[in-house]
Amino acid sequence: MTETRLIEVRRNVFKKNDLLARELRARFHNAGTRVISLVSSPGSGKTAFLERTLSELRDRFRVAALVGDLATDNDAARLARTQVPVKQITTGTVCHLDAEMVQRALEDWTLDDLDFLFIENVGNLVCPSSYDLGEDLRAVLMSVTEGEDKPRKYPTIFNSADVAIITKSDLAEAVEFDRAAARASIESVRPGMKVIEVSARTGAGMSDWLAEICHVD
Amino acid sequence: MHELSIAVSIVDAVCEELQRRGDPKLHAVHLTMGALSGIVKESLLFAFDAACEGTPLAGTRLVIDETAGEEFQVTALEIEA
Repeated sequence: MTETRLIEVRRNVFKKNDLLARELRARFHNAGTRVISLVSSPGSGKTAFLERTLSELRDRFRVAALVGDLATDNDAARLARTQVPVKQITTGTVCHLDAEMVQRALEDWTLDDLDFLFIENVGNLVCPSSYDLGEDLRAVLMSVTEGEDKPRKYPTIFNSADVAIITKSDLAEAVEFDRAAARASIESVRPGMKVIEVSARTGAGMSDWLAEICHVD
Repeated sequence: MHELSIAVSIVDAVCEELQRRGDPKLHAVHLTMGALSGIVKESLLFAFDAACEGTPLAGTRLVIDETAGEEFQVTALEIEA
């Protein structure tokens, strides 16, 4: 039998992404661009929420968005109706955005011209949690239609985020959404996490969200 | 879900380490994986074999030490003495 020996290496597998994300964060900071990413499961209303956010901000700030999906530029086309610069990142089979994809997408954009950059991640509650994109704020969305225990089922993504957004609040009554249970679920995985309830359709709660992202700076 | 891209990152990182150390014959890669890292052990083991094919790591074992935290790192390389 072959003799073997162990050599210690201690190497973080995500190091490459983390270094790149750190570079991006410094670039965003130097350009004065506030970067906000959105993560959630597919269908929880990221694009509608972002559409409303862009529309509400565009008269006061210079805003732009990157949007990630495995295929199609449907979301970019939809967001382009808000008349802000939008770019689609299609990942092929990759289930998340990483810092390199963001860096590449920004190649022909001048950050100095932007006050806000939004990054809509691929709809997925698992993989995006491992990848830092250099953002200042990560918002995790859950809709009233998808079950109050989502945070307990997917604690990692809730732990990686800074603020939780409960979307589609206009449907809460129809689906008998248990607000207390949802908040308790969030609180159990991330004590003290800020929670904002919104409806992109009616605009309810949007002012709380805008206050949250505009108060820093 | 993204275990294959993670496995490829591991292979890249290990190849770099081996090169730095004069390309010793590798038998196993030891990895620490936290329960909160969001990575599935079985999927990673499967993806690792696929990612190693056609690289100097072909046939290498992946030894995973599971912990409670968030860490995810290659801790040691088992090489021929």
